[in-house]
Amino acid sequence: MISNTLDLHGTLAENRLLGLWRMMTGFRWLYFGAAVSMGLAAVTKTATYFLLRFLVDEVLVQERADYPLVVIGLGFVGMALLEGVFTFSSGRLAARCSEGITLRLRNYLYDHLQRLSFTYHSKSATGELVQRSSSDVDTIRRFYSEQAIGVGRILLLFVINLAALLYLNVRLALLSIIVVPVLVGISVWFFRKIATAYEAYQEQDAVLTTALQENLSGMRVVKAFARQDYERDKFEAVNWGKYRRGRQLLLMHSLYWPSSDVICFFQMLGGLLVGAIMTVAGEISIGTYLAYVGMIVWILWPLRNLGRLIAQSSMAMISYGRVAEIIREKREPLDLGNHSPSGNLQGEIIFRDVSFGYSPGKPVLNEVSFTVAPGQIIALLGPPGAGKTSLVNLLPRFYEYTSGSITLDEVELSDYPRIYLRSQIGIVEQEPFLFSRTIRENIIYGVGRDVHDEDVEAAARAAVIHDVITEMPNGYNTMVGEKGMTLSGGQKQRIAIARTLLKDPRILIMDDATAAVDSETEAAILDGLHSLVGGRTTFIIAHRIHTVMNADLILVLEGGRIVQRGTHAELEVQEGMYRRIFELQARIEDELAQELRNV
Amino acid sequence: MAEHRAYRFQEEEYSTHFNGKTILRILGQIQRHWPWAVGAGVLIAVVAALDAYFTFLGKRMIDEGIISRDLETIYSLAFVYGGLIFVQGGGVFGFIYFIGSLGERIQYDLRQKMFSHLQDLSFSYFDRTPVGWIMSRVTSDSARVGELVSWGMLDITWGVVNISTAIGFMFLINWRLALVVLGIVPMLLITASLFKRKVLAAYRQVRRMNSEITGAYNESISGVRVVKALGREQANLIEFGELTRDMYQAGFRAALLSALFLPLVQLISAIAVGSIVWYGGLQAQLGNITIGGIQAFITYVAFMLWPIQEMARVYAEMQQSVASAERVFGLIDSVPEVADRPGSVDPGTIGGDLVFEHVDFYYDPSKPVLTDFTLRVKRGETVALVGPTGAGKSTVVNMICRFYEPRNGVIRIGGRDYTEFSMRAIQSRIGMVLQTPHLFSGTVRENIRYGRLDASNDEVERAAKVAGAHDYIVALEGGYEGEVGEGGILLSVGHKQLISLARAVLTQPEIFIMDEATSSVDTLTEALIQRGMEMLMTGRTTFVIAHRLSTIRRADRIVVMDHGRIVEMGSHADLIRARGPYYNQYTRQFRQEREMAYDPFQLSPIRVREVRDN
Repeated sequence: MISNTLDLHGTLAENRLLGLWRMMTGFRWLYFGAAVSMGLAAVTKTATYFLLRFLVDEVLVQERADYPLVVIGLGFVGMALLEGVFTFSSGRLAARCSEGITLRLRNYLYDHLQRLSFTYHSKSATGELVQRSSSDVDTIRRFYSEQAIGVGRILLLFVINLAALLYLNVRLALLSIIVVPVLVGISVWFFRKIATAYEAYQEQDAVLTTALQENLSGMRVVKAFARQDYERDKFEAVNWGKYRRGRQLLLMHSLYWPSSDVICFFQMLGGLLVGAIMTVAGEISIGTYLAYVGMIVWILWPLRNLGRLIAQSSMAMISYGRVAEIIREKREPLDLGNHSPSGNLQGEIIFRDVSFGYSPGKPVLNEVSFTVAPGQIIALLGPPGAGKTSLVNLLPRFYEYTSGSITLDEVELSDYPRIYLRSQIGIVEQEPFLFSRTIRENIIYGVGRDVHDEDVEAAARAAVIHDVITEMPNGYNTMVGEKGMTLSGGQKQRIAIARTLLKDPRILIMDDATAAVDSETEAAILDGLHSLVGGRTTFIIAHRIHTVMNADLILVLEGGRIVQRGTHAELEVQEGMYRRIFELQARIEDELAQELRNV
Repeated sequence: MAEHRAYRFQEEEYSTHFNGKTILRILGQIQRHWPWAVGAGVLIAVVAALDAYFTFLGKRMIDEGIISRDLETIYSLAFVYGGLIFVQGGGVFGFIYFIGSLGERIQYDLRQKMFSHLQDLSFSYFDRTPVGWIMSRVTSDSARVGELVSWGMLDITWGVVNISTAIGFMFLINWRLALVVLGIVPMLLITASLFKRKVLAAYRQVRRMNSEITGAYNESISGVRVVKALGREQANLIEFGELTRDMYQAGFRAALLSALFLPLVQLISAIAVGSIVWYGGLQAQLGNITIGGIQAFITYVAFMLWPIQEMARVYAEMQQSVASAERVFGLIDSVPEVADRPGSVDPGTIGGDLVFEHVDFYYDPSKPVLTDFTLRVKRGETVALVGPTGAGKSTVVNMICRFYEPRNGVIRIGGRDYTEFSMRAIQSRIGMVLQTPHLFSGTVRENIRYGRLDASNDEVERAAKVAGAHDYIVALEGGYEGEVGEGGILLSVGHKQLISLARAVLTQPEIFIMDEATSSVDTLTEALIQRGMEMLMTGRTTFVIAHRLSTIRRADRIVVMDHGRIVEMGSHADLIRARGPYYNQYTRQFRQEREMAYDPFQLSPIRVREVRDN
């Protein structure tokens, strides 16, 4: 196979046709070979008509017996075989190119997407990206396999047959291509119109799908209000709209094909008539006439499809533009960084006046400073938008801090390659994502080594999910995600915790990871964590006091600043937000007691 | 490594045999539009026959014109030829338009039929049928059936007429040579047909791989945070590389097979041409056939090949379409499980006492949803249903609405078994507000009016005022004419509830059902919803699936459910004193609600300053 990798970023071009050409790097010779093969096939086809001419003029008219009919008959078969070989090898080479280019593009795009930054992904819609990587890529593939090849074939057939006609008789040849500009013109014009009508049809199709979906998801309301007839009328209007647009599209087709038919037929008729007159007058032989009748077909009829191919190519250009937009984005350099220790981190972290913002002028973190000793548990507390998640996202270098300094084991964070940091840091998010795989595969996802079932189960036990899993019909082999079992938010969180624990990171970040589990289970998870902590530095983002009470250091954040810091014992007696939250819980208990007394 | 791929996207496979009954039914769809079908059929036949006749004209031009050196004949043949071109053009226009319109019309009919039937199907149908499945029946399967009756029929008619006229003309020209052609061609065509099947199977594999690749993209993009956090990029790329390599192989194989197909067909045609040359040449030397005749034979052979080489494709498509039709008819034939009984009546009111008598309900007998459920509710009483998810609360209200009927036991309204009433009699007198209310895309006003279609603007606004939604709506951009978006996506859950309360008010229901939102709603909206609910509750029998303590406390009676049974029942005070499951749930929820209400961060100095500064 030809080179499987190519930095497609370097092939981008403003001119989209040029971009498509550059994307062919490494495949151009093959493609050229395909074109040559195709040309040879066209030449062979034309030669067949010369054989027919010979048969008629020399054998049938002259009645010469020195060329046995069997030999000529086999000649036709031989020619077809030769043409077949050329056609096939052209197709084979072209398939190699189009599939090869697409393979390269697919792999590149996949890798590119997973290496684009968080910033990029948070502002792009998933559906849109998937659409571009699948259907736009397929449109590009069809450009290489169908449109480019198709246009080439039409042009080669035209040129070679025209050359042969010119050889037979110049006057007749020139006369036979009078309508060609008209034919090409209306073909291009009509297909542009058809493309517009098709778009309108597709749009209405989307409207219809939406209407249907809305009705189905609102079925309870429809029934509860007994509005079936009203809904039927509403749907009928949309449905009728699709029907009408479908017929408009049809009208375009039903106008184009017969009118191009009529043009081609009249051109043929003209040729037949003039050719016949010339034959009668003895200017050309009868064999020449027959060869002419055969070849003229290959000049005219394929041209009718030129407009279709050109219209489709313009769709490929649009698709290329959309894919190029993704490729143009800069990747996150995973391996960049000059400090890459061979062993594990200790986990000492020092923030010095760290500031960060997603966009300039809007700081999310403001001169944050604190020190964490290896193995400590740090709790982050604060209202939504205080910067808690942003703070922990800096550690694996998902985002880069704008000023200040973060040192990890006394080395500046930005000196570590991202890939190393991420291998040492584990994160459990509030709404974790599970993949459409089995539970076991989800837990071992991201562990770069072989794992035993006991390890997987130990992690699941620590996350208080083992018992839930074994109760499922297929246990650890239960499929989750879209095609599998639906899990509750709390179950997903616990599987994500198991996944992270199995990775055994030196720094563990729990971003509100137990929000969806009940308090008893949460307590069990935290207990499990403590036993597993084993000297790892742990960050816990939480809202409940009892989640953070045992932390070595509690940081209360507000508006991107640390407003309070200390242990539970220290903060409990300090005036401030922490105590307010703490007192609140006591107050609620009082109120409850009162409420119950009043019953 | 490739373990996870054991679970592959399963494309539905099609049955290989045709079901005669289904085909008859498909043809039945055409019946209503028979003029189009007949018109198209006639035109296709004319055009296909003309195609063959043009070749015959060419033959006569050679033999009677050129070889006989008769310019007169040449001119007159050319004149006929020219005239027929217009007939042919008109015919092509007509059949594309007719057959295509027929196809679109059948699609329209099927969609309308399915949609209409879906409105009547019972809830149990929607419970066990995924929305996506229904959607593809209505959209793609109907399209496939439409294409079968239009373009499929075209292919068949065209092919049959084309081949038979070509054969007819061949016999007219020279019957011996025609027999030779008829002897050779079929055998070779079978080969081509079998080969084409391989090509189609290869493309099916490509499609299957393609959807897997799309799935892989989808997952890695939506899970990109995890991928990055776990540093899984390289491993992912390797896994994906396996997929794309398979795809490359499948795609290449399919392309290779189709690249082989054309030469194969050409070779077949060349063998036929070769034998025409050999045998025809011999015949010509005997004077049995003319040069024009040989030329015509060569053309006819090429002619016959095209329709027949498409045979395999048309056959495969027909199989798929028949399978589609079976699914479409399956949907149309499914019988609503809950429907009006013969002789059902409209009692004029459903305001009487509502009684569940030993009601059982289940979808699957081994998994009961409600067991021996007995509950007597007096007219005007407010009942709060409480209990964990899956306890059967929604089933109870769905049965009141008669979305489902009891499997055992009876539900009585005003003393009569409610299955004696018509569906409409019950459902048009119930007002329902769902947990996550569904609004339809359109304006706020249209959505409220859904409650009573003939309500005037005034009545709509009055209903909104009663529900406490008016002030909020007026403050909205566009007011009553503001768009709510698809499914009400532009509004928050709380606001959607307000609007659906107004919608329920407009219905003036006799029974009111409310499923409270579990997600948090801002305090102001919450208060408005509570007030709206109260308005609706007064004087009406009310069932609330309650999540808020205030609502629960206010109920005349609290029914605590678990696993489809009533575990506790009574007033708030009774149940608290009982110290049972209700007590536990109440205290737990009390803490949560208060924690939420006293948002500790709300009181912080910075927030206070922010509020003040604005």
